[in-house]
Amino acid sequence: MKDSRSWPPPDDPGEGQPPARGQRQTGHGGDLGALLARVARGDQPAFEAVYDSVAGQVFGVARSVLRDPAQAEEVAQEVLLEVWRTASRFEAGRGSGTAWVMMLAHRRAVDRVRSRQASAQREIRASSPDIDYDVVAETVEGRLDAERVRKCLGGLTELQRESITLAYYGGYTYREVAGLLEVAVGTVKTRMRDGLIRLRDCLGVDG
Amino acid sequence: MKIRRTDPHTLLGAYALDALTGADRARFARHLGVCESCRQEAWGMQEATGRLGSAAITQPPDRLREQVLATAARTRQLPPLTRETSAWPGRRWGMAVACGLFAVALAFGGIAINMKHQLSQEQAHTGAIAGVLNAPDATMMTARAVDGGTATVVMSHLDGALVFTAARLPALPSSKRYQLWLMGSGGARPEGMLPAPHQGVTAPMVVEGLAAGEKVGLTVESAGGAKHPTSRPILLLSLHS
Repeated sequence: MKDSRSWPPPDDPGEGQPPARGQRQTGHGGDLGALLARVARGDQPAFEAVYDSVAGQVFGVARSVLRDPAQAEEVAQEVLLEVWRTASRFEAGRGSGTAWVMMLAHRRAVDRVRSRQASAQREIRASSPDIDYDVVAETVEGRLDAERVRKCLGGLTELQRESITLAYYGGYTYREVAGLLEVAVGTVKTRMRDGLIRLRDCLGVDG
Repeated sequence: MKIRRTDPHTLLGAYALDALTGADRARFARHLGVCESCRQEAWGMQEATGRLGSAAITQPPDRLREQVLATAARTRQLPPLTRETSAWPGRRWGMAVACGLFAVALAFGGIAINMKHQLSQEQAHTGAIAGVLNAPDATMMTARAVDGGTATVVMSHLDGALVFTAARLPALPSSKRYQLWLMGSGGARPEGMLPAPHQGVTAPMVVEGLAAGEKVGLTVESAGGAKHPTSRPILLLSLHS
């Protein structure tokens, strides 16, 4: 059961939810949404369940972007506490709970990399693009979800795949990705968008 | 305010991948504020990027669980946003005043902008302001300027942006104006000239691309603006989360 009634998007300008969004919230994503609703009411057992369901993903994405396990642990802690603190701001109508948590996690990891970079300018062009989509295979071998992601990544063009994985798993900006791949910035932007649309459609089959 | 001429929709993918830097991200978030179909597409893409994240699953150290659960147990949660109240805990009154201030400032700013027939720009500007005010981590701060007057800042680290407005600053001779800066370890970045006040209140300015540890500052400069601050800030506000 989706208890969207108790979570009206407060700042949604009128229109109401298109049915397609609701359909996408099936499977464990929907369960996480319900748990988050309980977390918002201060339910600590529910938060433990949320922790158990997302901590590995949050830590994994932080580790992938930051590389340093100690910093990844710090970021993971910040993100998981942010989930606790801001659970009331999760809007079920906007997508799955997992997507929300991963958005918080990835954004915070990337922000950490960039603020660190601002003080110690990393020389992008000198470093080789050593993160490719094999990072998925490395960290998650045998996982069903990862298999699926890997398969869908495999269905992209090479440039789409490299643009997406460098940005997501490497935490690079699209300008940096363009530098690493030695292609025009505009090309990277469109490949990221086209690639994500394809990825979304490929992954979206079972929600 | 800088307006990009390129089609912002091409940035959707980069936005969903967090591949935009602070300024680009805030500019795009501003666009999302006025583009319903873009928001829908962005959410769909965030589902996809979320799956990329889930695929990187790695077992965290066991101590993390205990630390997180123990800290959560003594951390106050944010209340939900509701229509009739603003949802900043313990600061409702202050936020009501701030929103009122912004509404007044917007009304005046809106008139000025309409007269220039720049409606889309105004909408984008209003969208950007709404974006910051509605951000889940929006924080309000006020500061007093050294020679009188106050500044109100609503900031979102998530958006990397803040909204700045000032009230009752001392009037300046026509050769001088107030200039806004972001000041960090790398020096001061000019963020634009404060608009002329209407009944003592300046129209809100959106400042984007905040970096960690920066302060927002206000100096008195010649009317054309300066590349670097030439006088001591009359106001300096640390942007802690």
